[in-house]
Amino acid sequence: MSTAQSNLLSQMETTCGSLLHELQIIWDEVGESDVEKDRMLLELEQECLEVYRRKVDQANRCRAQLRQAIADAEAELAAICSAMGERPVHIRQSDQSTGSLKAELRAILPQIEEMRKRKSDRKNQFIEVKKEIESIKNEIYSPGGYALNDKAVDENDLSLRYLEELNRELQALQKEKCERLQQVMEHLNYLCSCCSVLGLDFEQTASEIHPSLGESEGSKNISNDTIEKLRTAIQKLREVKMQRMQQVKAEVSRLEELKASKMKELVLKKKAELEDICRKTHLIPESNSSIDIAINAVESGAVDASCVLEQIELQISRVKEEALSRKDILEKVEKWMAACDEESWLEEYNRDNNRYNAGRGAHLTLKRAEKARALVNKLPGMVRLLSMLEDYIVLRQEKELERKRQRDQKKLQGQLLTEQEALYGSKPSPMKNQSAKKGPRLSCGGAGASNRRLSLGGSMLQTPKPDMHPPAKATPNTRNAKKSERLNQDSLRDDGFAGLSSGRRGLDLAGLPAQQHSLNLQFAREIESPMMRKPFSPISSTDSSRSNVTNILDDLNKKHNEMLQKTTLTSNNSTPFTTPSKMISMTDVENRTPQATPFPVPSSTPSTVSIPMQMALTPAPKQTATTVPMQLALTTVPMHMAIVPAQNAAKSVDEEIEYSFEERRAGFVVPRSRLVNAMQV
Amino acid sequence: MTAAPPPSTGRELSNPPTDGISNLRFSNHSDHLLVSSWDKSVRLYDASANALRGEFMHGGAVLDCCFHDDSSGFSASADHTVRRLVFNYNREDILGRHDAPVRCIEYSYATGQVITGSWDKTLKCWDPRGASAQERSLVGTYAQPERVYSMSLVGNRLVVATAGRHVNVYDLRNMSQPEQRRESSLKYQTRCVRCYPNGTGYALSSVEGRVAMEFFDLSEAGQSKKYAFKCHRKSEAGRDIVYPVNAIAFHPIYGTFATGGCDGYVNVWDGNNKKRLYQYAKYPTSVAALSFSRDGRLLAVASSYTYEEEINRKHEPDAIFVRSVNEVEVKPKPKMLPNPAT
Repeated sequence: MSTAQSNLLSQMETTCGSLLHELQIIWDEVGESDVEKDRMLLELEQECLEVYRRKVDQANRCRAQLRQAIADAEAELAAICSAMGERPVHIRQSDQSTGSLKAELRAILPQIEEMRKRKSDRKNQFIEVKKEIESIKNEIYSPGGYALNDKAVDENDLSLRYLEELNRELQALQKEKCERLQQVMEHLNYLCSCCSVLGLDFEQTASEIHPSLGESEGSKNISNDTIEKLRTAIQKLREVKMQRMQQVKAEVSRLEELKASKMKELVLKKKAELEDICRKTHLIPESNSSIDIAINAVESGAVDASCVLEQIELQISRVKEEALSRKDILEKVEKWMAACDEESWLEEYNRDNNRYNAGRGAHLTLKRAEKARALVNKLPGMVRLLSMLEDYIVLRQEKELERKRQRDQKKLQGQLLTEQEALYGSKPSPMKNQSAKKGPRLSCGGAGASNRRLSLGGSMLQTPKPDMHPPAKATPNTRNAKKSERLNQDSLRDDGFAGLSSGRRGLDLAGLPAQQHSLNLQFAREIESPMMRKPFSPISSTDSSRSNVTNILDDLNKKHNEMLQKTTLTSNNSTPFTTPSKMISMTDVENRTPQATPFPVPSSTPSTVSIPMQMALTPAPKQTATTVPMQLALTTVPMHMAIVPAQNAAKSVDEEIEYSFEERRAGFVVPRSRLVNAMQV
Repeated sequence: MTAAPPPSTGRELSNPPTDGISNLRFSNHSDHLLVSSWDKSVRLYDASANALRGEFMHGGAVLDCCFHDDSSGFSASADHTVRRLVFNYNREDILGRHDAPVRCIEYSYATGQVITGSWDKTLKCWDPRGASAQERSLVGTYAQPERVYSMSLVGNRLVVATAGRHVNVYDLRNMSQPEQRRESSLKYQTRCVRCYPNGTGYALSSVEGRVAMEFFDLSEAGQSKKYAFKCHRKSEAGRDIVYPVNAIAFHPIYGTFATGGCDGYVNVWDGNNKKRLYQYAKYPTSVAALSFSRDGRLLAVASSYTYEEEINRKHEPDAIFVRSVNEVEVKPKPKMLPNPAT
């Protein structure tokens, strides 16, 4: 007991005592009995005890409340902590002797406040996360159709771990949303391109799948449903695209087929044209096997019709050329045949003794007889003409064979030369443009070949006697001299025939009429006209061809000499002709040919030089009405169709050899033999 | 031609050949011009008087010609013959033959010999002073690696260009073998070679619009001077059209040179300064040949299609133009004059 309390007690005791004392006094005065006195004192004591007891209970109760509060607080704290998975900020230490309960309670209250706050925060976080998850799930799975059962936050688990788990879930969902969006955008892009290719309206198509897709801005629906619909739509459009492509392809192939069949038709038509021309001009086409094979190939579709067409066209043009050059010959032959007919008529007429009797058609017959006689006189010339033709054509054929042989040689040369070229390392000329014209130049009909011979031969005649025609020193001109000069000028071009013509003029003077002379010249000029187009012609350089032609020359020379004799004989026998003033005078002929014979050169021609081809050296047949068979006069001109492939082959080999412009212009080809020699060196 | 001043292409000679012109040359003694042609003729003109003085017909196209002196000359023909032509008497005789068309002919004053190059891959030297019998005039035959395309002489040196871009340089005093065996610096077929008048080298042109300037001195110093340049080209739509350079002619006094190409132009070049001095007005068709007169005052230009397209296509008529040459067109710029011509 403290001093205060003892003081209080002592005070109380004093107060109680005094009170008691007072009470005694009172009682004494009153005269209370002892019983009464005892009773009152007991009462007093009991009442005092009652008061004490009440105070004590009160204090007790207070203490109990405090204890309860503390216990409650502690329990709550523990609950929060366990829910949040955390330990409290301040851990209550059981052995903590902070002293009074009130102090304890004071300590624990802030703790609990804080934990309550933190729990609340945490809870809010959970709510957030869950809300977001719900919204994405709504977007992905179906709008509003997904019932989120666990919207309410579980108070029991507010742990960070769980929060993290939820966060992860949220992230995963966000990623999926993103992917789906990307997918949708891709699909939309593809859809857009399909629409543009097919000509559809993209916005409308997209909106049909889902309204949100048709808009250029704003979020797009990414549900499974939408994506599925997009996929289907794209598939459908793809199919449409394929269909249309196939349609186009079908159209293209149909058109190609049409073109091929038209080409085939054209080829056949051209072939018919070719045959027609050949038939009309009596040209017998050489074996057309190659072109038939080509046509068959075209029909079976194996070969491109256009190149076969080209070849046929080429052939047609050549045939036409050929026909043209023969036109005159044909005409002359026709004339000749007519003349023969007239001749036989005339014979009959002459035999008819009544021919001078005046009759109904007498004057007509007389005229006819006159004409017939004139024609008959022309016959010998015509016949000579025709035999010239014979020889001419025979020689042409031989030249063809020559050329074929040469071409084969060339092919081999070309191969060898390519090897040599590799050694010397030359490169092809940059302006290489091998045209097919080289072919025709080489083998353009027999006419070309024979004219070549003519030209070179003529030069042999000309050059030993240049004083024949120095243009600057022309003799004072009579009309005849002028004409001779002009003729000489012409002969600068057609050398061979000038030589021939001068020779023939000599013959003419021996006693043949002038008409023949002009006929021959005309014929000469017409034959040489193809040559006019080619200012220069190639020279054969192979020995074999030279010797061949030498032999022919000898033959022809002999025949010519025979003819000379015969014509002089016939001239003596035939009826005299007047020499028209048009004819060249004897003196001029003598001036031109200082040597005795009109054909001086053949005897002195060296065999190594190119040799002239002379014509008309067969003796003139007697004047009987012989019919020259048409076929002989027009013996097959070889069609060059068969040659073209060979030429192309030879040409392609030649192409690998380098040539200068001059070589090509001159038609010079590197000979094989020289190549071999070079390689041996 | 009209009485007006001569057109920018020069005065056209009358009586030109009737077919392509293969070469033309001025005489060393006068203004006579010798012209060889594919019409098988060799013609002698008096260029100043514009008159035809002589004409010789051959058996085949004449591919080259040259003067001996003012009264005679030589010709090379596709009929394989080499001929001597005597102008005053209008006489000709055959000096010799090759086994194939004769492409080039030169007369060497130094040795007094005629040198011919042929497509039979040989060079032959002839002595024209002997009798005309062909066997005795042949001095020697020299095999070439390929067909001879062009030749040029200066002093005792002979340059021979063949197919396959070979170039042989000979010393005429010893023809047994080439002094130098070379290859053209250009990648394409050789068209023409011409030696510099000062004898130090030669110019070589190709079908690809290029000219190479070469030197005989094979030392490093000598070879360092060599170069090539592009010419006779046309630029169209970003691409070059290249034309063969057919002819080269050196000015006898200034040492500059003219080139003629299939583009129809004649350019004059200063080889030392590597500059073009002048370009003449375009000629009607390809320039086939060029020649300066002995005093360098005249330039003869053969305007004649050279079959570079390898077909006989329609083309302008073959013509010879003779133009006066002004100093400004051919004189090199003052700062660097070449060594005087020999």
